Amino acid sequence: MRTVKFMLFSGILLIAASCAKQVDYSQAITDGQYISEAQNKITEVIIHDIFSPPVAARIYSYASLAAYEVAASVDPNYVSLLGQLNGSEKVVFTPSEKVYPPLASLAAYYYVGTGLIFSEELMNEHRDATYETLKEKGIPEDVFEASIAYGKEVGDVIKAYSSKDNYHQSRSFPKFTVTDKEGTWQPTPPAYMEAIEPHWNKIRTFVLDSASQFKPLPPPAFSTDPESEFFKVAKEVYDVDRASSQEQKEIALFWDCNPYKMNVKGHVMFAEKKITPGGHWMSIAAIASKAADRDWKGTAEALAMTSISLNEAFISCWDEKYRSNVIRPETYINQHIDEQWVPLLQTPPFPEHTSGHSVASAASAYTLAHLFGDEFHIVDSSEVAYGLPIREFDSFSQAAEEAALSRFYGGIHYRPAIEYGITEGRDLAAFIWTKVDTKPKNVASN
Amino acid sequence: MRRLSVVFLIGLGVVFSCQEKKEETLFQLMDNEQIGINFENTLTSTDSLNILEYLYFYNGGGVAAGDINNDGLVDLYFAGNQVSNRLYLNKGNFQFEDITKYAGVSGNGGWSTGVTMADVNGDGLLDIYVSQIGNYKGLIGRNRLYINQGNNQFKDQADEYGVDFVGFSTQAVFLDYDRDGDLDLYLLNHSVKSPEVFAQAKQRTIPHELGDKLFNNLISEGQIGFEDVTEASGIYSSILGFGLGVGVADFNDDGWPDIYVSNDFTENDYLYLNQQDGTFKESLENLISSTSRYSMGNDLADLNGDGLPEIFTTDMLPIDPSIWMKSVGEDKQEVYQIKKKFGYSDQYVRNHLQLNQGKEGFSEIALFSGVFASDWSWSPLIFDMDNDGLPDIHITNGIEKRPNDLDFIQYSQQAASTSSMTEIRRKQIEMLPTVKLPNLSYRNQGGLRFKDESKTWGLDQPSYSNGSAYADLDNDGDLDLIINNLNQPPFIYQNHSEKSGNSFVRVNLAAKGKNTLGLGAKVGVYFDGRSIFQQYSGSRGFMSGTSSTLVFGLGKAQAIDSIAVDWPTGEREIFQLDYINQTYILTQGKGKPNLSQRGAKQQVDSFPQIPWEHQEKNTLDETKREYLTPKSFAIMGPALAVGDVNNDGLEDIYVGGAQDQAGSLFIQLPSGEFIKKENSIFDQLAKAEDVVAEFADFDGDGNLDLYVGSAGNEYKSGALFNFDRIFYGNGQGDFQFNPMALPKIGENTSTIAIYDVDADGDLDIFVGSSVVSGDYGASPKSVLLINVGRGIFQDKTKEWFGSDADLGMINSAVWADLNASGKSELLLTGDWQGIRTFEIINSQSLREKKVNGLEFSAGWIQSLAVADVNVDGRLDILTGNLGLNTKLKASVEKPLWLYHGDFDENGQADPLIFHYMGDRLVPFASRDDLIKQIPGIKRKHSSYQDYSELKGPIDLFPEEVLSKSSKHAAYEFRSGAYLQQTDGSFKFDPFPDQAQLSPIFSVSWSQSNKSVLLGGNFTGFRVDLGINTAASFTSWQWATNGWKEATFQNNIPQKSEIRIIKKIKIGEHYYGLAASNSGPIYWIALD
Repeated sequence: MRTVKFMLFSGILLIAASCAKQVDYSQAITDGQYISEAQNKITEVIIHDIFSPPVAARIYSYASLAAYEVAASVDPNYVSLLGQLNGSEKVVFTPSEKVYPPLASLAAYYYVGTGLIFSEELMNEHRDATYETLKEKGIPEDVFEASIAYGKEVGDVIKAYSSKDNYHQSRSFPKFTVTDKEGTWQPTPPAYMEAIEPHWNKIRTFVLDSASQFKPLPPPAFSTDPESEFFKVAKEVYDVDRASSQEQKEIALFWDCNPYKMNVKGHVMFAEKKITPGGHWMSIAAIASKAADRDWKGTAEALAMTSISLNEAFISCWDEKYRSNVIRPETYINQHIDEQWVPLLQTPPFPEHTSGHSVASAASAYTLAHLFGDEFHIVDSSEVAYGLPIREFDSFSQAAEEAALSRFYGGIHYRPAIEYGITEGRDLAAFIWTKVDTKPKNVASN
Repeated sequence: MRRLSVVFLIGLGVVFSCQEKKEETLFQLMDNEQIGINFENTLTSTDSLNILEYLYFYNGGGVAAGDINNDGLVDLYFAGNQVSNRLYLNKGNFQFEDITKYAGVSGNGGWSTGVTMADVNGDGLLDIYVSQIGNYKGLIGRNRLYINQGNNQFKDQADEYGVDFVGFSTQAVFLDYDRDGDLDLYLLNHSVKSPEVFAQAKQRTIPHELGDKLFNNLISEGQIGFEDVTEASGIYSSILGFGLGVGVADFNDDGWPDIYVSNDFTENDYLYLNQQDGTFKESLENLISSTSRYSMGNDLADLNGDGLPEIFTTDMLPIDPSIWMKSVGEDKQEVYQIKKKFGYSDQYVRNHLQLNQGKEGFSEIALFSGVFASDWSWSPLIFDMDNDGLPDIHITNGIEKRPNDLDFIQYSQQAASTSSMTEIRRKQIEMLPTVKLPNLSYRNQGGLRFKDESKTWGLDQPSYSNGSAYADLDNDGDLDLIINNLNQPPFIYQNHSEKSGNSFVRVNLAAKGKNTLGLGAKVGVYFDGRSIFQQYSGSRGFMSGTSSTLVFGLGKAQAIDSIAVDWPTGEREIFQLDYINQTYILTQGKGKPNLSQRGAKQQVDSFPQIPWEHQEKNTLDETKREYLTPKSFAIMGPALAVGDVNNDGLEDIYVGGAQDQAGSLFIQLPSGEFIKKENSIFDQLAKAEDVVAEFADFDGDGNLDLYVGSAGNEYKSGALFNFDRIFYGNGQGDFQFNPMALPKIGENTSTIAIYDVDADGDLDIFVGSSVVSGDYGASPKSVLLINVGRGIFQDKTKEWFGSDADLGMINSAVWADLNASGKSELLLTGDWQGIRTFEIINSQSLREKKVNGLEFSAGWIQSLAVADVNVDGRLDILTGNLGLNTKLKASVEKPLWLYHGDFDENGQADPLIFHYMGDRLVPFASRDDLIKQIPGIKRKHSSYQDYSELKGPIDLFPEEVLSKSSKHAAYEFRSGAYLQQTDGSFKFDPFPDQAQLSPIFSVSWSQSNKSVLLGGNFTGFRVDLGINTAASFTSWQWATNGWKEATFQNNIPQKSEIRIIKKIKIGEHYYGLAASNSGPIYWIALD
């Protein structure tokens, strides 16, 4: 608290001092550092507020889109996504001379992002501290105000767009009803949570024609017969868990990405929270942007397109989850193979098929490969803040495949959900890039 | 002498200084140093042993009271976890001497839990049984049986006696279950298997070596030691049991000891009825409707003087509103349903008080009695704390690290990049909140209502208290209180009831055989036309034991009539004694035989039979659609109509079934039997859920027609299967359906009221509707149907009520000529609205009329009836309401409020119930439940702490949102009679308490008996209200100045849900027909 005050105070002093002479502030923001930091903060708040993976993807999408739209409005090398995305209309923005675009972009990100989470103070605190740092770099007050106003102007358009995606209405849709039908999903220990977002396929897609456009192959037919395909895929999960190598365990834990893991010891319970699968890939997008020396506009582009891919991935995947409503390995194995078995990872609260991490990872990886080339050395430090090590990958697709397989090692998915999930994610991302583009030439062809 | 006077002076000093500071209280906390007690259960959490490593790390230890050297003074034994146990010899005059070492009873460094004293080997000396935690995470221990060698020395002979169990014992209780004259042993153990992973409940039948045990003492057979008889005895001994409390009492008054076990977590509690053949039958689900969820300790004792022991179990519901609002509450609806699927019974996070109703089982009344919340509670003790002749309830509570704090659960864990696991765990434990609270002392105010007097009685010192025991330590005729605290010296309270002038008797027992102190004997003291009963058990509360001297407070009584003893071996004697303030030693064989009848009288009545049973079927879970709805509207049936449909002078019956269950018509034969009259139209319309039915001649042909109203809260308004139907009768038992007779309404019909409203000679109908499907709190469409001739009806609601009439949620409507004007008025009421009266104006409209005395009648009235109850020539109004056995409390000063509106503007309205906690009007729903429906609330209150500080609705929603919602109050939840006064106003006279224990769904007046018949019980409340099946049927007669119980023979089980009672004549006799939801039709003999 004292340091904050001190910073504020010295900030004011600096501003006062800087008023005297004109400083060149054009280099105050060049790369994607600030938006990445804002994204890290929003990730933290998403975790704190306990947003589920599909909802998290939605938050990232609109916030990133707002940042990107500012970029597209000031640089003809980028094309606005408004007008390309379902239900959006082309808007012509005319920023005033005074606007410092990278700041406006950042402001738009904060503005829209903060409107989508609950713990607004946490975001505002971060934003204010960032603004103070930026002011110290000599951005004049009037430029600052104009930039923030412009960020808000673009942000309001995005907010209005977001308000029509049916999310708000869906909060009151009926909760999921568990059925007694054999082979259907049942709540899992230890929290036995209700299946989340059973109506997520009713959320407007950004690009896909419908939630079911990339309907994956169905899971094997349910059976308890030891000779059946279903039993075999379940037994495979059980066996791989029992014989898993240290590396497989590390992979499973690295990609756990469970935003709400309930720990229970007798009467003591506490939630341990990590970034969502989407949060992890948004972090990779930021890491890649930095590694590729993208400027703030390129970073905004990467974040916007990755998050849109993630959003579509979750809608598509959730559509299938509640269509097939498949029982989790934990439940099946406890009932038919080993009553005492507990998977390495805590089973998340929604049906099994397909694997969300697989669809989301494949979709993100496709988009990142599209922007950066698939061969790309990634030093993935996304999970360091959550007590996990760094992992390195030579390509986006390699990372995605490992992420997908991690769910199998973790004992929470059967193999088909992973394989079909990868196909689902890759196909839908490829489709996205045939429908929308961020570069002018492609828009012309549309 | 010199030393004594010094003590005396110090004593005086204490008294004086106390007087300066505060008034003298009933109980006085003793200075442990002064009385010679230096025990303290000091506990240190370490990296290897802490609450994360051992789930019951903070459960503390017990205390047992008993006279180990037969000097007439009760000695004390304290159990310690990480400290040595201590035995203190009572030297008299509140002086104790630590003889642990000499006696050899330290516990040998083990982690001790429960302790109980009994004369195990029949030598006339109390032995001590100590439970310990066995080999676990560095703890070494086993249970100890310290056999009293005389001369204040003991020898641990657990091994020799075969009871040196190694495991996780909580407590032991001795009982003579086979009545062979020696003391057998029930050993209560707890599992350590992950309680959060639900196992199928049927696994409780799979024995485990660490499960509960029953040991048969062989001393009567001439052998030393115990035999493990668990397997053959019918006792569950599985890993599902997290046993935290065990008690023994004779529940069914058959003279054989029964057992109650309270289990923590998901597993049910167990109620074992002694089968009198060496086995027990677990009977909880037959006899008890719901239990505490995290059941901790228990006590079994008679509270109302009927000789049948009640059951009290503790749980962890906070009593402070702010703590309540930020603590773990009931299971979420969906988790509750999962537990049911796994086979577990209804369990709620609150204390439970099970009132023993004899062969009908128990009525759970903790919410009525006001003893349902006492925070994280351990040891309940039922005893007469102030010697006023009414047993009170003392409850210990407190946990040093509070795991049920929701901010801790949801928000405490921060991402940490570089901590070791040990470090993380240490931090987690540190972060667990700490709240030290006083224990609770509930004074019995009579009528089974209790009030906390811990402050006025001087028992309000903050503490983490676990085991507790009462005993008359100074032999002055009142019960002193001993409490084993964690990290704090134990509380020894001296009881000063002797100063109140209340009288007492003390009873010591001398039994035949090896059970020398008569453990298990039930003693009844008769005086002033009443009686008090106690059963001697050496194990009570939590991990603790009380002494063999029974103390009975007698209030202002000057003499007693007699003392009855039911000896543990079955003999029953009466001792004619009359002096008060005495200690009696009652010796088996010295009294007179007691020839009175044991047990509840069996009723053997045969009633007519109707071969029909209501089969409820719900395909839709209403809570999935409306997460915040307080109750279900899907279990309102069956429908029941009585009338002579074939003009043979005998009354026939129509019963309407639930969804997919056809209605059935039963024709009465002259023999009094009923035969079903087939009608295919009923089968074709089986899809509809019938909830009301009436016979009347709608088409004016002189024959009874049938109106059937449907509901179910499943289909949207206007759905085909929600349509009500009229069937025209031909006077011979045949009915014809006319689909055009009624306008197509399709609401959830709840009531119909028939009257010739427009005075044109045919019958018109008011049809009330209870709820808009999927929108609790909104006003559904209730209609006035005008008969336009030949039984064809038109909706004339607007014409008669005006176009903007808001009739609200209606559960019941009747026509009655309240003011003897010759014209009836329409009375209607329902959830959140009072009794409303509409008078007919010019045979063409209905106008609401203000009636004095009904202004604050709004509650959740389900049923109305009108009758001249007090025979004063004026009609009175009888109401069946929610009752008082509920978490929802309402009064004129502090009403319950419903705010109904679309608070988050997402197109769906939500019903938010606000109730007063203290002076704050706060949501009844938990923050979690609210957030599930209105996520934006998180934005307003970022933590549970914030939420718990809410002061009113304005702290939840901005004024502009609140002002758009509709607000409704409930002021009165008691069922009762609004008696009409001479000026036409009404004055409320509630039914007696016994009628307030359950929600009343049917009120009917039997004119011939001048009695009101009340049918109740409801299992459709949301989980945090809980099912209520405490009273299915009661009946009351108006006596000069109030209600007195009327007794009618009936075959209604206590747990059945009675929806409607109608009178019927069979042969020359009158009966009440009581139709139950998901059950048969029961009978009440009215003459």
